Amino acid sequence: MSAAGIVVDGLRKRYGATVALDGMSFAVRPGVVTGLVGPNGAGKSTTMRVILGLDAVDEGTALVGGRPYRSFRHPLKHLGSLLDAGALHPGRSGRDHLLWLAHAQGLTARRVDQVIEQVGLAPAARRKAGGYSLGMRQRLGIAAALLGDPPVVMLDEPFNGMDPDGIIWMRGFLRSLAAQGRAVLVSSHLMNEVQDTAAHLVVIGRGRVVADAGLAELIAAASRNRVALRTTAAAQALRVLAEAGARVTGGGRDAVVVSGLSAEQVVALLGRSAVPFSEVSAHRATLEDVYLELTGGAVEFRAGAPSEVAL
Amino acid sequence: MRGALHAEWTKMRTVTGPLWLLLGAVTSTVALSTVAASVVHCTAEGCGGDTTRLALTGVYLGQALVVILAVPCISGEYGTGMIRTTLTAVPRRATAFAAKALTLTGVLAVAATLAVLGSLLAARLTLPGLADPALSLSNGPTLRAACGTILYLILIGLLSLGIATAVRDSATGIGVTLGLLYVVPLVAQTVGAPDWQHLLQKIAPMSAGLAVQATTGLSALPIGPWAGLAVTAGWAAAALVLGGLLLHIRDV
Repeated sequence: MSAAGIVVDGLRKRYGATVALDGMSFAVRPGVVTGLVGPNGAGKSTTMRVILGLDAVDEGTALVGGRPYRSFRHPLKHLGSLLDAGALHPGRSGRDHLLWLAHAQGLTARRVDQVIEQVGLAPAARRKAGGYSLGMRQRLGIAAALLGDPPVVMLDEPFNGMDPDGIIWMRGFLRSLAAQGRAVLVSSHLMNEVQDTAAHLVVIGRGRVVADAGLAELIAAASRNRVALRTTAAAQALRVLAEAGARVTGGGRDAVVVSGLSAEQVVALLGRSAVPFSEVSAHRATLEDVYLELTGGAVEFRAGAPSEVAL
Repeated sequence: MRGALHAEWTKMRTVTGPLWLLLGAVTSTVALSTVAASVVHCTAEGCGGDTTRLALTGVYLGQALVVILAVPCISGEYGTGMIRTTLTAVPRRATAFAAKALTLTGVLAVAATLAVLGSLLAARLTLPGLADPALSLSNGPTLRAACGTILYLILIGLLSLGIATAVRDSATGIGVTLGLLYVVPLVAQTVGAPDWQHLLQKIAPMSAGLAVQATTGLSALPIGPWAGLAVTAGWAAAALVLGGLLLHIRDV
């Protein structure tokens, strides 16, 4: 595997009886934005803390540019990260917050002013960070991540608390970082936040990777072998299709999504049992479908899923 | 290490809390010392006791502000989550911890020196007989008491830092440290058996450490001046080792 970017290999970690990481392995390559997505509690933040050397693992390695993070003398020049935008002293100004970080890396106030300019925080830089909105704190956190001009950038839920303008800015910004050749890892629990930004997705659930592929590839794979069916006799259709071994999901009024059978098989089955239907078509999956399908078995806590039909 | 030190110094000077607490430590030390010097009954023979120790009484109060300054240096970062940012910027935890301890030592050295010199000066202005050798730094025991008191205040700061790192919470850290300083001597007072009382005074960080202020009747003290300060140093070292070890092995 390439030494550039981030390589996470076989991470295992348990807290008492809870398994937080269960053989987590993936790589973040330069030049693309990689989305790390999964439900809350899947292990996104834990993985990031392990990469930063903040949490220890029972097994496995996490390397940044081929080296453990803790071995860097000036780590912010190798990996810029944002875990928690609220982790600030409320009485210190944004500029002073960046200043101590800069001093820890042997950088000067000039670099601080550059990154402040870059994230558009200049008007508020000398105000106390305690008065910042969440969006401003996110920008300050991004500025801190850029301080050392690192080849790898890692952001945990950077869209949280951003207004629509901020989200658009963030998307463009992440893409521009990747276009500069940096490896960018962005976590999110919301698919629509990453679908316009990330070219590669690592989907995780219950502490392990459930999918690691390009965005287009994932959608194509999820769309395959799924059939959208429109029928006024949904209950009857469900029974017939389930008996044939299909997995059936409700897709709205009169609409049913069938997986595990081809369109021809569905038509034949319904015809044989004289179930009326008005439309059978190939189902086009959205990224949300992909996500739900992949993480369906991996969600830690979920309310009763109303669209799921018990079979 | 240089970067880590520079960063800790920048942190310390860019918020107003530490400066006010340092000023408070100096002011309260000098103020209480002045009060003590002004209420004592002195004759031409002297003040009927240890004048140097009397002039440095304010440390009993000033050290509390040192604790309140030192504990949040690290537990405050646990409160906001900033400790993660600190250890992301300086991932070698021993280095990060040492940088905090050294920065604290530096600012406390300045504040403690001001507090001690201020207290001695105030006593000279308050007490009759300006030439009292017990208040002159050219007097060996007085110089030892003054330097020892400065070291004592620094050690209290380091003790606080170690405890704060172990408990990771400001209120708990301040409570535990102040309890260790003030409650143990109180317990010693209430213990009937003189042997036990003696032992507690010898091992408690405050009563042992402040033996360094004594300039008269050394043979009657439970513990010698430097030996007493060494006990406090032992407490500080143990707290730092415990805190450093926990910082090293725990997830943050």
